[in-house]
Amino acid sequence: MDLLDVIDGVQSVADGVLFGATYALLGIGFTLIFGVMHKINLAFAAASVGAAYASLLILAGVRAPPALVFVAAAACGGGIGALVYLVGFRFIPLANPLATLMSTVGILLLIDEIIVHTTQGVPLNYPALFSDVIIRAGPFSLRGDLMFVFALGCVCMALLTALLYCTRLGLATRAVSQQPVAAELCGISITNVNVLTFVITGVVGGLAGAMIGAAIGILSPLLSLPLTIKGLIVTVIGGLGSIPGAVIAGLLVGGLENLFQFLRGVSERDLYVMLLLFVFLVFRPRGLSARPPGHA
Amino acid sequence: MLKGIAALAALGTLLAFSVAAGAQERTVKITGFGAKSGVVRVFGVNSEAALRAAAEQINNAGGVTLGDGSKAKITVEFLDDRCNAEEGISVVRRIASTDAFVAVGPTCSNVAESLFGILQKKVGDASDSGLQFPIIADVAAKGGLAKISEWSFRNVPSEFEMYKSLFAWLKTQHPDLKTLWGGVEKDFAHSNATFGVMKAQAEANGLQVLGQSEWLLADTTFSTQVREMKRANPEIVAISAHPFTSCGVLKEMERQGVKPKLLVGLTSSSSIETLQGCAKQAEGIIIPTSFAPVTPEAVKAAEQVAKFGGSADLHSAAAYEVMFILKDVIETQKIMAKPETVAADRAKMREGLAALKETPGLLGKIGRTADREAIKPYLYVHAKDGSWQVLYKPSS
Repeated sequence: MDLLDVIDGVQSVADGVLFGATYALLGIGFTLIFGVMHKINLAFAAASVGAAYASLLILAGVRAPPALVFVAAAACGGGIGALVYLVGFRFIPLANPLATLMSTVGILLLIDEIIVHTTQGVPLNYPALFSDVIIRAGPFSLRGDLMFVFALGCVCMALLTALLYCTRLGLATRAVSQQPVAAELCGISITNVNVLTFVITGVVGGLAGAMIGAAIGILSPLLSLPLTIKGLIVTVIGGLGSIPGAVIAGLLVGGLENLFQFLRGVSERDLYVMLLLFVFLVFRPRGLSARPPGHA
Repeated sequence: MLKGIAALAALGTLLAFSVAAGAQERTVKITGFGAKSGVVRVFGVNSEAALRAAAEQINNAGGVTLGDGSKAKITVEFLDDRCNAEEGISVVRRIASTDAFVAVGPTCSNVAESLFGILQKKVGDASDSGLQFPIIADVAAKGGLAKISEWSFRNVPSEFEMYKSLFAWLKTQHPDLKTLWGGVEKDFAHSNATFGVMKAQAEANGLQVLGQSEWLLADTTFSTQVREMKRANPEIVAISAHPFTSCGVLKEMERQGVKPKLLVGLTSSSSIETLQGCAKQAEGIIIPTSFAPVTPEAVKAAEQVAKFGGSADLHSAAAYEVMFILKDVIETQKIMAKPETVAADRAKMREGLAALKETPGLLGKIGRTADREAIKPYLYVHAKDGSWQVLYKPSS
């Protein structure tokens, strides 16, 4: 391995970490819903991609600057999030964990088919902000659009943390997450909190979908399934229910994915990512956020 | 007297009914199948539109003449196999359980490969209980698939011939270009197989293949792959991938400032999807194709296919041609299209298709090989100003 290989390797990891911000946002979505409802929403990544598509539809009808595509995607994500709750959770017996799991699988497939039937599966151009900006530092370069995606991801994570820990809504959400019965006795409406959680995670998902579209430059229904898998891996590695864990795991998976791609090629890349997942499941099943025994 | 009038009235009514029944048009149903859901839905949508457009042309000209001399209109049914081998086999078994005497499809090579495997290998082999049902493929493009069974036929272009000719032509046009880097979508049968063809032809024409970058159909980042490409600094980049990842790679190449002197693409990417996804980045890419609206027939076909909600490209144009091929075979083989003649009709269709030496096509005559493949005329197109424009016609 010569110096050029090392430079390429470092550059690959840097690109992966920046793109990993999108995985982190997806992981946050999965983890928030799990944290509040103790359910996995497998339709989350598909809904995120759906929101990005919906934002394109809106912008096609209204003449607006490309920056608004992110706002539109977030808004659409919120709406789709509420719909997912209504269809996949509201009227499904929550006591049966498999019921909601299967209903979200159904919604995932439904969203995918809606996208495919609306677009014929044809990839669509997605606007990217700061795509002309390249920040160079010696042999290394950082893409402006990925830096923007990364920064936007960080802002989202900070806002979500503030929302959870500095607002009454956050307090209610954490109360429902920890003691739903006690929270209800205190006058907190569990349904309202659940709906709001889906709307908030939908907004985050919409942003993640838009960021992924902007980072690749195009949208395709092909994205739903791999992003669902990535989101789940990030959630497990980060620790179910942990936002900081999801953030770190997202960046870690993004960076390692590119490193494995660089070192072992595309045919082995996913194998190592899956191995990483198994390592966590076996040796650290509570993920990165697991605390040592004895801590509350 | 009254009895006589009543008998006359009854006779008149009977006569009127029989005339009406005689005047009732016969129909022949041609069933197509392919992906109409999932990410390659566009293949099925275009194929169905092309089949319906061609059927309308045939029907407007009077329909098809059956073995008993009667005229029949062609109707089209199109079934979805989701680009999935098991579903493709199930769809064909369903079609074969009806009175259908031929089917058109599939759109995906992975489906064709498995599906042709369930057909009887050699005609007349009593020990082979495989399905005896003729199938003619319009889209599935991986080379050599019709060889699998004597009941399978294809009207798809030979990518081997097209890339052989393209690289030989590039050698004459750009003798100064010496190095090539490949980009291949590893997990898609067609792209992966075609890259082998591209690479072999590039080497056969004196190009040095410096290496290849690989990615998967659903990949989202291409920075590592493009960096490999950038480091090799090739003069030609040949991308064997479908529009989604082709566009992803082309956009990444633009970001990293990779500007090869020449870009070569996969046949399937010479479609509207590539232009919708990345017209600017694809500017200049050269792709061999068996369809472009360069003849009056091709222009008309493109208009008709658009009328039925599809887009004419090298795949759907093949479906359009298939319908006319089937009409000719039905007429020359005197197909009866009756429930009691299904087995005989299927055998006659197979014989008729196997006997074809040449068929009319939208760009000119299409030759047929002994192993039931097509030798289609082709040309080279390049992306220019957001559209596909003809760069060179090898036959001219």
